[in-house]
Amino acid sequence: MGVSWRKHKSSRATGSRWWLPALPVALFLAGWQLLAGVNLINPSLFPPPTEIASELAELYTSGLPTRSLLIGHVTATLSRLLVASVIGILSGTLAGALMGISSRLYRFFDPLITVLMPVPGIAMAPLFIVWLGFGDPTIIALGSIAAFFPLAYNTAAGVRSIDPQLVRAARMMEAGKGTLLFDVYLPWAAGYVLVGVKLGLARCWRTIIAVEFIAAASWGLGYMIWDAAEYLRAGVVYGGIFLLIIIYFVIEKGLVNTLEKFTVERWGMVQR
Amino acid sequence: MGKAIIEVQDVHKVFDQGAAQVEALGGVTLDIHEGEFTVLIGPSGCGKSTLLYLMAGFEQPTAGRILLDGREIAGPGPDRGFVFQDYALFPWKTVLGNVMFGLIHNGWSKSEAQRVAQEYINLVHLGGFENAYPHTLSGGMKQRVGIARALAYNPKVLLMDEPFGALDAQTRKHMQRELVDIWDKTHKTVVFVTHSVIEAVFLADRIVVMTARPGTVKGIVDVDMARPRDYTGEAFLAVRRRVLNLLEEEVEKEIRLQEQAGEV
Amino acid sequence: MNGDSGRAAAKSIVEFLFPFLVVGLLWELAVRLHLVGMEMLPSPSVIVGKLWTLTIRGVLLHHLASSLYRLAIGYVLAVGLGIIVGVALASRRLLREMFAPVLSMLISVPTIAWVPVLLITMGLGDRTVITAVFLGGFFAITYNTMRGIEMVNQGQLNAARIMGVSGWRLFVEVLLPASLVSVITGLRLGIGYSWRALVGGEMLSALVEWGIGKMVYQARFWNDVAVMLMGLLIIGFSGFLLDRVLLKWLERETVEKWGMLAKR
Repeated sequence: MGVSWRKHKSSRATGSRWWLPALPVALFLAGWQLLAGVNLINPSLFPPPTEIASELAELYTSGLPTRSLLIGHVTATLSRLLVASVIGILSGTLAGALMGISSRLYRFFDPLITVLMPVPGIAMAPLFIVWLGFGDPTIIALGSIAAFFPLAYNTAAGVRSIDPQLVRAARMMEAGKGTLLFDVYLPWAAGYVLVGVKLGLARCWRTIIAVEFIAAASWGLGYMIWDAAEYLRAGVVYGGIFLLIIIYFVIEKGLVNTLEKFTVERWGMVQR
Repeated sequence: MGKAIIEVQDVHKVFDQGAAQVEALGGVTLDIHEGEFTVLIGPSGCGKSTLLYLMAGFEQPTAGRILLDGREIAGPGPDRGFVFQDYALFPWKTVLGNVMFGLIHNGWSKSEAQRVAQEYINLVHLGGFENAYPHTLSGGMKQRVGIARALAYNPKVLLMDEPFGALDAQTRKHMQRELVDIWDKTHKTVVFVTHSVIEAVFLADRIVVMTARPGTVKGIVDVDMARPRDYTGEAFLAVRRRVLNLLEEEVEKEIRLQEQAGEV
Repeated sequence: MNGDSGRAAAKSIVEFLFPFLVVGLLWELAVRLHLVGMEMLPSPSVIVGKLWTLTIRGVLLHHLASSLYRLAIGYVLAVGLGIIVGVALASRRLLREMFAPVLSMLISVPTIAWVPVLLITMGLGDRTVITAVFLGGFFAITYNTMRGIEMVNQGQLNAARIMGVSGWRLFVEVLLPASLVSVITGLRLGIGYSWRALVGGEMLSALVEWGIGKMVYQARFWNDVAVMLMGLLIIGFSGFLLDRVLLKWLERETVEKWGMLAKR
């Protein structure tokens, strides 16, 4: 067992070995391409990467110039994500703040949330299909619920952790209820809320993709992947998952990290 | 004076810090005598802890070598015991489990290890706390466990890295007296790092004063006084003054160095 | 003492169940007063009745047992391989630099998104569901094991090394317990992901006939909302129990007892 990993950690510049993580990916893709090319693995189950790329390109061009099929799927999913996450984050933060301030509310809703949280959105889909039908209403409702729980949970935890001195100080300055909530409690809990946003967004994304598998009418990345799997178009399935990885990577790195930089990091509440 | 058990021969140590290189030790030559209590003291950043880490084998010298009983130190091993400033106890083991750790892993049977560990727990006055977990103990008690753990498996040399640095002044004085008691009973070879002159004079047979970075040996002060020592005695103050005089030049040098670095 | 703690536990269970009772009563009332339609939202009494008939006919047990069987196999595989891979990544710098970025990207893929791939490559039956359960837990456990071992206190490692402990014993005796806080976090996250993957996988795999997820999915064909709601409650409670009873217990008996959890 080596214990030397620590010694070198800070000492080297990070830029010099950037290609290392690309190496296994490149080898993996090359091996895949090769094996599928000589039929050592079944190319209809594992189409070679070049074919996946061309399938994606075909999806992109089909429907052009009016509406690209691929872009249509992506925008359908992203707009659902936008609407659902905004609803879920706002309502979750509000509910969490109320739960944080009133310990009676907390005691009442905490058990309900802890039991409902492990229920995956896809399991609720049949029920919501009965209630709201196929398509956007069901998908957005379940996406919002998915985002709601982590926000409520984390905001409540954050507000409950507030330093009572701070509340006393604010009361002394005769701050009203609203001021107290928005100027004291929520900024204090900002770190927790942001963790909640991160988790909530991830759950929302997951749930929307999953629910699109069974509840989408005809658009959405989840629908695209599921439809392709039904017709054994493996290239589209792999390509779709590749797109999922890329899109979420961009969302997380671009959006969440920027949000963090402009709020809690600036206030010195987290160290990097 | 005992024979040299540790021989430090022209040791250099250079650390990489990003692109820059920091020379921590610039050629240290030093003998540690068997059965003696040696204290390393110097301005902050002089490499005294680095020297101790080299003796422990946690780090390797960039140049030069360190011999223990005539053999070059290649890595850490149970012929040495180490007491850490932040205790480094195993939180998942009880007091007894911590003290038994070195015994179990060096050939003692379980019952024998338990008996020996109990002896050392009594020696550091922790009888009754055998089954307590470290997080329930105060800082002073934690360090007693650290000392018992390092002594229990009977290493040839005990290395102590500012062991009382994290304690409050009262506890610190108390622990110094206890350490003297323990040392009187065991007469172990000890190398002890501190930045407190009073602590050094209270504990040491020999005080090794080191220079500012890069660290070398500035001078050695022998302390020939009966223990326990009186902090206010004439002889005590005289030794303290000698050490302080040696140190002050180095501290001033260190401050000048920092100022220069600040101007650049 | 014992009676007191028993009473406290009973009180906390009552406090936990109280909200469900209130919501249930309001719901029942709303249905009885025809505020909502029975076919859209059957009353709790109907759901409980359904629960009763399905239980005595043994159907529910069969569904639950099939689910737990898949969960057990997939999750145990995820724990074993996750810890091994996590340790390998943490202890070999080259491996970590090569695979950590890939790993963090793969973590962000919704586990359920692997299911179509698995349906194509592994068929429409049990194998697909179990593999989905495995993938759900594996990444979270690997990642957290790696982080845990990277963050092990260097002092504790050094303490063990100077007492002559290295290799496999260092891993079992020090690295693993020292990183247990993070490993348990991984286990808890992992069982959540595995549980969700299980339910989703059962719903989507056409040849799977039994399983709690399948029960909910099949209810769709008869528009049996009562069975759906009952299934959701069971899914929620089981997921909750797996975490609270199994893993929370593990956490309490280890890292919490050892004082390794940061005080909130």
